[in-house]
Amino acid sequence: MTNQEKLTQAFCDALGIGPDQVKDDLQYNTIKEWDSTAHMVLISELENTFDVMLDTDDIIDMSSVAKAKEILAKYDVSF
Amino acid sequence: MTSLSDTSCLTGHSVLVTGASGAIGQAIVKRLLADGAVVFAAGRNETTLQKLSETDPARIVPLVYDIADEQAVKAAFRTIQSKQSDPAVGSLIGLVNNAGVMDEASLMLSSLDAVKHQLNVNFLAAYQHMQLAARLMARLKQGAIVNVVSQVGEQGSAGMSAYAASKAALTGATKALAKELASTGIRVNAVAPGFIDTSLTEHYDDKAKEAVLSRTAFNRAGTPEQVADAVGFLMSSASSYTSGHVFPVDGIFHP
Ligand SMILES: NC(=O)c1ccc[n+]([C@@H]2O[C@H](COP(=O)([O-])OP(=O)(O)OC[C@H]3O[C@@H](n4cnc5c(N)ncnc54)[C@H](OP(=O)(O)O)[C@@H]3O)[C@@H](O)[C@H]2O)c1
Repeated sequence: MTNQEKLTQAFCDALGIGPDQVKDDLQYNTIKEWDSTAHMVLISELENTFDVMLDTDDIIDMSSVAKAKEILAKYDVSF
Repeated sequence: MTSLSDTSCLTGHSVLVTGASGAIGQAIVKRLLADGAVVFAAGRNETTLQKLSETDPARIVPLVYDIADEQAVKAAFRTIQSKQSDPAVGSLIGLVNNAGVMDEASLMLSSLDAVKHQLNVNFLAAYQHMQLAARLMARLKQGAIVNVVSQVGEQGSAGMSAYAASKAALTGATKALAKELASTGIRVNAVAPGFIDTSLTEHYDDKAKEAVLSRTAFNRAGTPEQVADAVGFLMSSASSYTSGHVFPVDGIFHP
């Protein structure tokens, strides 16, 4: 699996959405599936998938799929 | 109290206990081991933790760090995270915020440094532990957090305002997080001991102890094991419909 595929899978598992919905411009709180509870599960899923531990500031900043990639890049995960 | 191991669901999972080198902490570790868990036993006293882990090396993982050091807490959770897929450890489904410090002083004689230290250890550190543990538990959509607070925080006690405030803050967070985390399957409860005979209270001379016990309906001090039994219950599936509750273990104490 590529990192992009892993990221898509993590979003699908955490938010319970289909892969076609995981686009760069998908934003937090714009669909009912991505609420604050799902956000926590998403963080958990991303940390587990990429074996990282995110800083709280990065969790606060993770407001879209594009932003998630940008933040994960700081933890040496390349897309 | 009989073991709740038949209903505890802790087998195959792990629990982090802070303050595991202390009297109540050690009793909690023993209790959770009896209920089937692997225990991450945290504290600063490496010798005590090492000795404790020798009692069951396969199921006690000592973690030596200062809980008031944010980076050290993160590093400890990184260690826990790295062991999540190890079947001999199992996923983290429990956190017991038990570490604590108590500095008795009246309002006029409380240095702000001492106040901050108690808030840091008793509240902020516990809060950071809940943040990090909840993230590990959220994926599994199950978990239990038990915070060890105090009847002093629940009811107030003259000469202990900073300690009381730090514990009351943790009670507030317990009740709020119980609601916030309910949808992720994580329960958050607290245990509020009264007077328990441990190193935290060993500076009480006979007269001071008598004064405290005279305000305790049971007229005797509690034991670390009694606190541990309450923690074990709140950690187990026997309490699966209970969250946001503060469970007294105090012999009816009025500080
Ligand atoms: N005893 C009572 O009557 C009573 C009543 C109400 C509530 N409580 C609460 O019960 C809990 C346990 O207390 P206890 O009676 O068992 O006292 P204790 O024997 O003095 O244990 C305190 C524990 O906290 C740990 N700790 C303190 N500061 C720490 C730090 N900065 N970093 C890491 N660990 C730290 C200590 O670890 P190290 O020694 O390894 O540093 C020790 O394991 C506390 O939260 C206390 O407030 C006790």
